[in-house]
Amino acid sequence: MSRTDVLDPEVARALSALSAAAKRGLGDPALAEFVVVRASQLNHCAFCLDMHLTIARELGVSAQQLDLLAAWEEAEGVFDERERAALALTEAVTVLTDGRVPDEVYERAAKHFDDRELAHLIGLVVAINNWNRVMVGRRIPPGGYQP
Amino acid sequence: MTTEETARTTRPETARRSPEEPARHTAETAPRLAWAQHAPEVYKAMLRLDTAARKGLDPRLLELVKIRASQLNHCAFCLDMHSKDALAAGESVERIIQLGAWEESRHFYTEQEVAALALTDAVTVLTDGFVPDEVYDHAAKHFEEAELAQLIAAITVINAWNRFGVTCRMVPGHYEAGKHE
Repeated sequence: MSRTDVLDPEVARALSALSAAAKRGLGDPALAEFVVVRASQLNHCAFCLDMHLTIARELGVSAQQLDLLAAWEEAEGVFDERERAALALTEAVTVLTDGRVPDEVYERAAKHFDDRELAHLIGLVVAINNWNRVMVGRRIPPGGYQP
Repeated sequence: MTTEETARTTRPETARRSPEEPARHTAETAPRLAWAQHAPEVYKAMLRLDTAARKGLDPRLLELVKIRASQLNHCAFCLDMHSKDALAAGESVERIIQLGAWEESRHFYTEQEVAALALTDAVTVLTDGFVPDEVYDHAAKHFEEAELAQLIAAITVINAWNRFGVTCRMVPGHYEAGKHE
């Protein structure tokens, strides 16, 4: 059972609008799910993991990639350089409390994404971090997502 | 080592100036990315979210929450903005300074504020674990359900601004109180 199901409808709509705008601007649905699942792993959001692993599977993302996402740095040959750059940025932007987003991480991402894509990628990391907080804070149980 | 570097090493800035002279600060750097210009729809959604999440919350409490999360996330731009907004709204300098160690200075804050600050810390630092029951339950004692949901939303939103601010390395120091409203 959740702690509370209350979420202001306008807050929920704005959260959804933010996620949708970021995803649309990034324009790479499979990459978007890698980013979203990885952030949800770091933030331990059960609801978000259940939902986005389901979506990733629907998109046809391989089981091997999803299985190894938590160890992407060690999983040579499973993710391409662009995906790896996005995942490194996802981790840095998610774990702000340990420090700033390092130059090498930012510049690595800037090599693979133009300014517009990069702004949307950052937006997507922010958007899933939002959902992670709203779901973990209220302890929304996994399984609520219906494809 | 160049001549200039030698001069700097042997004659440090602090040794040269008289006590009346202000210290010369390091140079300001440009932001990494003008994210709002490159992602205007994302920015619009952020403004909408910010407006929605502050509804029903005490503005004074909201600034304390925003400053505290910005400290944890090391967002210089956000600290500049929200400390100025808090001061302009009549918040005391000492309550702002003590936020960095609020657990040790609870007597500067009301019970409700302390509960909100503990929730802010827990919801901000998700990577260390979950939001503990005792933290949530304490907050639930001081806020009714809808207000508590808004508080969680507000903590979420400042975390979002912090992420844009830090990642895009937005430059602090130029904000004037009330400008974002």
